[in-house]
Amino acid sequence: MADVSRPWFKEPWKFKESIVVSAATVLAGFIIQFAAGGHGIPQPHLPVNAIALAVFAAAVIGTGIALKSNPLVKWLGSIPLGLCLILAVAILSLIGGVVPQDTAPAGSLAAGFGFNRIFSSWPFALTVLFFLLNLGLGLSWKLVPFKMQNLQFILFHAGFWIALGCGIFGSTDLQRLVVPIDEGKASNVGLTMESEEPHQLPFSIFLHDFSLEEYTPNVLLFDPATEEQTNFEARKGATATWKGNNAELVDFLPSALPTEDGSLKPADPSAGVPFAKVRITSDGHSEESWVGITNPARKPEPVKIGRLFVLLWPGNPKSFRSAVTVQDDKGHTVMANLEVNKPVDFNGWKLYQMGYDEKAGRQSKLSLIEVIHDPWLPAVYTGFFMIMAANVLFFWNGIKRSKVS
Amino acid sequence: MAIDFNTAAIAAMALWAAGAILGIFSVKNAGLKLPGIILSLVGSAIIAGYIALYWNFLGRPPLRTLGETRLWYAALIPIVGFIVEFRWKIGWLKYYCMSLASFFLIINLIHPEVFDKTLMPALQSPWFVPHVVVYLVGYVFLAAASTAASHNVYLELRSKNNDAGVTVAHYLSMLGFVFLTFGLIFGALWAKEAWGHYWTWDPKETWAFLSWLAYLAYLHANSYKIDRSKLQWYLALSFIVLLVCWFGVNYLPSSQNSVHTYTKG
Repeated sequence: MADVSRPWFKEPWKFKESIVVSAATVLAGFIIQFAAGGHGIPQPHLPVNAIALAVFAAAVIGTGIALKSNPLVKWLGSIPLGLCLILAVAILSLIGGVVPQDTAPAGSLAAGFGFNRIFSSWPFALTVLFFLLNLGLGLSWKLVPFKMQNLQFILFHAGFWIALGCGIFGSTDLQRLVVPIDEGKASNVGLTMESEEPHQLPFSIFLHDFSLEEYTPNVLLFDPATEEQTNFEARKGATATWKGNNAELVDFLPSALPTEDGSLKPADPSAGVPFAKVRITSDGHSEESWVGITNPARKPEPVKIGRLFVLLWPGNPKSFRSAVTVQDDKGHTVMANLEVNKPVDFNGWKLYQMGYDEKAGRQSKLSLIEVIHDPWLPAVYTGFFMIMAANVLFFWNGIKRSKVS
Repeated sequence: MAIDFNTAAIAAMALWAAGAILGIFSVKNAGLKLPGIILSLVGSAIIAGYIALYWNFLGRPPLRTLGETRLWYAALIPIVGFIVEFRWKIGWLKYYCMSLASFFLIINLIHPEVFDKTLMPALQSPWFVPHVVVYLVGYVFLAAASTAASHNVYLELRSKNNDAGVTVAHYLSMLGFVFLTFGLIFGALWAKEAWGHYWTWDPKETWAFLSWLAYLAYLHANSYKIDRSKLQWYLALSFIVLLVCWFGVNYLPSSQNSVHTYTKG
């Protein structure tokens, strides 16, 4: 920053020019965004976006190599410009990190400038494109002539370029659809998240069974006099001492249904609900009762035992899965169990267990399956793995080799 | 549980305090140095032992809630201070580190966790431990870098020459950045498996990206030979962005749609 005495825009350009040009880029982006009535950037699909990105990459690297000593190109690939663009990306991301995304009403000022869709807005796109130019030029100078000692630099910067470039350019080709299916039925229609617009899928999914496992429920003790509460895990034989009351879980049925005469009968986990028999002893006096949840809304029902209200608080979902058969037109068939964190691949699509009818809980007969197609994923992952390889090299080379001064 | 949290936390803080006092007096009496180091290490070992017992008690790694992650920071941050002293013969960092660790323990003493053993399905993944652990290690290094940089600023204001301190802050931030990068990418790879896409600009992701950019900028400014004493201010303050990412995000208006807000407390 020691170029205070240098006149504006006199070569070599440094921080002053970088700040002005970066700010102008962001400003121009907001003006275009506003002029376009809040509409984001145009979004070409494959193969147009891939060709555009390849041409851009070739042009950047070619320019960097051919015009290495041109003062303007030197500045475009310089660290001062890079720092200002990092700051610009950071400021735009800050807007996206504070303003709720996708919620501002159309016509509001925030929506007009794209604040609520900052990551698909003009200012963000222009700044990232400019940043890719800067990063690509810097990279080109380390690529040619190639030296082994630059490998860590090349892997990190090229990896970042590829991940960022492919992630942004390829985002238009990402298809995310939700397929709601009832047990015993098949569907080949996916809905978009925002508008629930139906899309025909190149395969159909048949749902054999949806099942949900819950954690052990909790027994909650509530003192109406002081409005205080405590809880303990609902296991047979569990005890708790609280405010002079001894609570004991005398009996526990993980899955049962009430019969007509009021007694309880064990039932299949997909149909029954948990019940706990709780005994409260206070001042030598004991009282006990069954506590459970029988209403369709699955709201815990308080039961008065002694001077306390006792509730059985349902356990959180532990796991849920859908047994499905996926089939395409050509008869290619896959049977699979979909579970959270365990997606299944089918013809370039990934199928995810997404949700279920939460009101019905473990009685849900409906499964929500998300299907995702992202042709750019291998390219983005290549970038990720190059960055990680650079990190590994950092440790391999040892910290001493990375210069401090 | 064989020991409860309050006992473990108070014992650890007492040992760190005793170790620090012996360390300060060891300037005049070198014989106190070793006992000081041993007491401080036992303090950290108590927290480490508590984590092991707590892990066993919960039946899952205690890495889910903010309170649980604070335990790890309390155990690990002083270790960084001890390593720096051992490797670079710089003694002052460990005092800052032990104070910071005590601060985390005090937060946990004031806000005792509600015991909740359940782990939601999205967190039941082989990525859970590596993702959180690399971030933890990264944050620990960057917390130490920030304290080192603050100390450098203080020395700079008193016009003291402090090249070694500047170097330590730089090494720590570089190490921290590498771990931050791993954390970010592990998070992206996990998100693809759990939520279907590697990057959705979820508020926590956005803030993780922002903190990564902050340190990316530091490293480039440093490589451009910007006056390194000025950069100490920047490095000391960068940690604020990390703090927002770490526990500030839950309070931001943008967090209403976040998938990361299970980390309450």
